[in-house]
Amino acid sequence: MTILQICQWLNDSPVGTSIRESDFSFDLIETAHVLGITLMAGTVAIFDLRLLGLALTRDEVSDVAGQVLPLTVAGFVLMVVSGTLLFWSEATKMYFNPAFRFKLVLMLAAGLNPLIFHRTVYRKVSIWELSQRTPAVAKTAAIVSLALWTSIIVSGRAIAYFH
Amino acid sequence: MYLLPFFEWLASTRLSEAMSASVWAFAVVEMFHLLALTMLGGTVLILNLRLLGLRLQRRPVQEVARELSPYALASLAVLIFSGALLLIDGPLRYYSNAAFRIKMLLLALAVIFSLTLHRRAIRSERNARIAAVISLTLWLSVGLAGRAIGFI
Repeated sequence: MTILQICQWLNDSPVGTSIRESDFSFDLIETAHVLGITLMAGTVAIFDLRLLGLALTRDEVSDVAGQVLPLTVAGFVLMVVSGTLLFWSEATKMYFNPAFRFKLVLMLAAGLNPLIFHRTVYRKVSIWELSQRTPAVAKTAAIVSLALWTSIIVSGRAIAYFH
Repeated sequence: MYLLPFFEWLASTRLSEAMSASVWAFAVVEMFHLLALTMLGGTVLILNLRLLGLRLQRRPVQEVARELSPYALASLAVLIFSGALLLIDGPLRYYSNAAFRIKMLLLALAVIFSLTLHRRAIRSERNARIAAVISLTLWLSVGLAGRAIGFI
């Protein structure tokens, strides 16, 4: 089975068809998707700004992480669940959509970034946050995160312009 | 209605003609609108969760507000500026859109509330919870009404 065939199968499945043909499902799910992105990217941006020393500077990095990142995860879950349903209903169209393809690559990169960050430099956060100076590697991860999420929002919006 | 001449005048401006003649202008401006919306959403959420005593409890409310307000205000400025450009792209399209009208009303309420009672609640830490709930509700409603513009 090729990827295109899988997309066609999803597209024509009962779930995909019912979302596509319902008057309100797609709009409602898309609204949830936008809220999920806002929650996810809006909160991760605050954590990134903290790493860069640009917001909440008197709070320790680990404290901001503990307080803010659970919200980021909640937004991420909402975004992925709603995004999957949206894709399901338009899978064949999405397969050919250049903005969607580009967005998938960006999402992969945006997923790898925190995996690497939390397994490397963040492991020693309790040591470096005391010195009040964030390591360059952590600042780089913050800039990469801000750039990636900005690009994901832009390419996500662009999907509709390629219809 | 008495605002119709204003919207008609907006539609007759050169900027309106340029916006609607351009293929990408609307899309590019809308992307800035969305990015600023994300930032405003994040800062408003965290600040209000602090007011509710649910996040960043170890820091004084005023300090969290001082740290996040510049980002919220800058985002709001970008939102209003980009929103005005989106409006100018097709003023008459929005004039008759019920969701747009509701959104403008809610936006006015949200901005006025933020600059008055919400700000006072942050300073005095009195009525903090109710102010946070009202603020979150107002901004969420602005967002939902904004999304609904495209559905009508």
